Amino acid sequence: MRKLLEIALGILTAIGGFVDIGDLVASTETGARFGLGLAWVLLVGVVGIVIYAEMAGRVASVSGRAVFDLVRERLGAGAGLLNLAASFFITLLTLAAEIGGVALSLQLATSVNYLLFVPVVGFLVWLVCWRVRFELMDNAVGLLGLALIVVAVAVWRAHPDWGAMLHSATHPVVPTTESHAAYWYFAIALLGSAMTPYEVFFFSSGAVEQRWTRSDLLVNRLNVYIGFPLGGLLALALMVAAALVLEPLGIDPSHLSQAALPTSLVLGRLGLALALLGFFACTFGASLETALSCGYSIAQYFGWQWGKFVKPAQAPRFQLAVLVSIALGVGLVLTTLDPVQITEYAIVLSAAALPLTYLPLLIVANDPAYLGGKVNSRLSNAIASLFLVVLVLASVATIPLMIASKAGGG
Amino acid sequence: MRLSDLLGAEVVDEHGRAVGKVHDVRLEQAGPEQADLGPGLRVEGLIVGRPALGARFGFGRGVQGPWLLRLVFGSLGHDGHDVAWHRIRSIRDRRIRIAGTADDLPTPQPSGD
Amino acid sequence: MARRLDAALELLDRQLVDKDGRLAGKVDDLELTDPGDGLEQPRVTAILTGPDALAGRLHTRFGRWLQGVVLRLLARQGPARVPLEQVQAIGSSIELRVAAGRLDTGQGWARRLIGRLPGAGEGDAAQ
Repeated sequence: MRKLLEIALGILTAIGGFVDIGDLVASTETGARFGLGLAWVLLVGVVGIVIYAEMAGRVASVSGRAVFDLVRERLGAGAGLLNLAASFFITLLTLAAEIGGVALSLQLATSVNYLLFVPVVGFLVWLVCWRVRFELMDNAVGLLGLALIVVAVAVWRAHPDWGAMLHSATHPVVPTTESHAAYWYFAIALLGSAMTPYEVFFFSSGAVEQRWTRSDLLVNRLNVYIGFPLGGLLALALMVAAALVLEPLGIDPSHLSQAALPTSLVLGRLGLALALLGFFACTFGASLETALSCGYSIAQYFGWQWGKFVKPAQAPRFQLAVLVSIALGVGLVLTTLDPVQITEYAIVLSAAALPLTYLPLLIVANDPAYLGGKVNSRLSNAIASLFLVVLVLASVATIPLMIASKAGGG
Repeated sequence: MRLSDLLGAEVVDEHGRAVGKVHDVRLEQAGPEQADLGPGLRVEGLIVGRPALGARFGFGRGVQGPWLLRLVFGSLGHDGHDVAWHRIRSIRDRRIRIAGTADDLPTPQPSGD
Repeated sequence: MARRLDAALELLDRQLVDKDGRLAGKVDDLELTDPGDGLEQPRVTAILTGPDALAGRLHTRFGRWLQGVVLRLLARQGPARVPLEQVQAIGSSIELRVAAGRLDTGQGWARRLIGRLPGAGEGDAAQ
């Protein structure tokens, strides 16, 4: 019975923790501008993150080492450092975006300017990273994030034409108001929002934090195979909501409030409140994850003791890295750069940087020296390799598409 | 001296012709085989030339798949040489001069343990 | 047959783990004895770890400058050393005989900073 509860908790946390500011922005924006024409990308992204997250969890559970820990061993100090620089920069950008997202959610709830919330949010994020136990932190924000289910409820209550929706999702068409370059640019952005590099660092480090071993492999698989796709459904719900409400009105969502609009139209005040709670929980949870991931990647490259499973004084350089990263993230948001803009750049750059994270992970997941008999099966290797090829292509196409579509504006 | 002083150093033969750069240093246990390193480690020789990219990824030492990556990275072809320490005639400013020429140097075997 | 290993492939960039399983840095470089005029086979005397040891691998002016900066910042004379006698086993990670607290791993400055914050757990028992 207890094991069942544990599994249920893990799955629920995975569902509620899936969506972050990147998904909020990308799903809403693509829904508003392209209807359901990019829904297939979300499907692809979820399959990808499921495969690679399972690998990351397995590597950590069996070898006791987190993914970035092994990047330097496999790539060497030089290539590993370049990888670290790119991954750290993008994760930091994402951290800034998430902190901005938390502040924006609070602004929507209180009408107080988001900039005033930023330092407070930064401090709270640091405090939780410093003192709150890992499982408690992970479960609390994950469960609160389930409030986003209200968006799916709103979609259901809006009685859309399911047949027509299914048709437009399976027969994607670039709207006349958009260019093909913009379509593919947003495809990459959406992919980057679903398959974030930091998720791999956080998931594998988290498995070590929670002392997972071989016997937890089943729980890991259940969390990932059930939790992540259901979480992806929440992102899909956001896209559908935007397609139903924002697209016909021609609203181009550049404010977070517009992501909550469909829900408040259908379900009124209560719906809006729950949606905002969901936004807050998701972005706060993701702020914690990205802040810790910044610390994990630096500490793991240099081989320093890391983790919340030891007292801060036992892992001082890791804690300092987390602290400095949060400070930098806060600083970036305080420059008054639009957080939604920061988010868009973060997810697009994430997509471009995915091969850097996934290639070493794929190699390590095949190494019997780390995994013994638990190396990848031929099937997972085949699918994972296919994904890697797609990711490399997407990575190469990112900058040209960014230029051709004027960063999605054109 | 440090290991990094040897890595990347230029190796030339007795005629001053370039043999390659040191990309690894082979160490051996200084005494009889033991579980720990009681007798210590010493430098047996240098491995000179271009390294196989796949070696670092583990493709020569147990990593089997995925076949796509093995295809791309797994070329274990190594155009390099083993230089036993006793062949070295001088080490100065990251330039190592050896006796003999490149042709009478063996190709590296994996250290395999 | 004596065991052989390739330093750059099997030792360098590997994780150092102390006897309690604590992480103690990476193998950033190795300290060797000077071959001298007789060109004797150098012996490995210590593992070097830390950002300054890592910077030392860049044999460029930038690398040397970086090394100097890091050493000055940390108020050290040289990189953190783990004598070879402290090594228990060499595998996918390098296991050490002693606890990390007994080694010079170069994290003292960070520990002093972080230790000042409330709840850091400084002064708690067991390393």
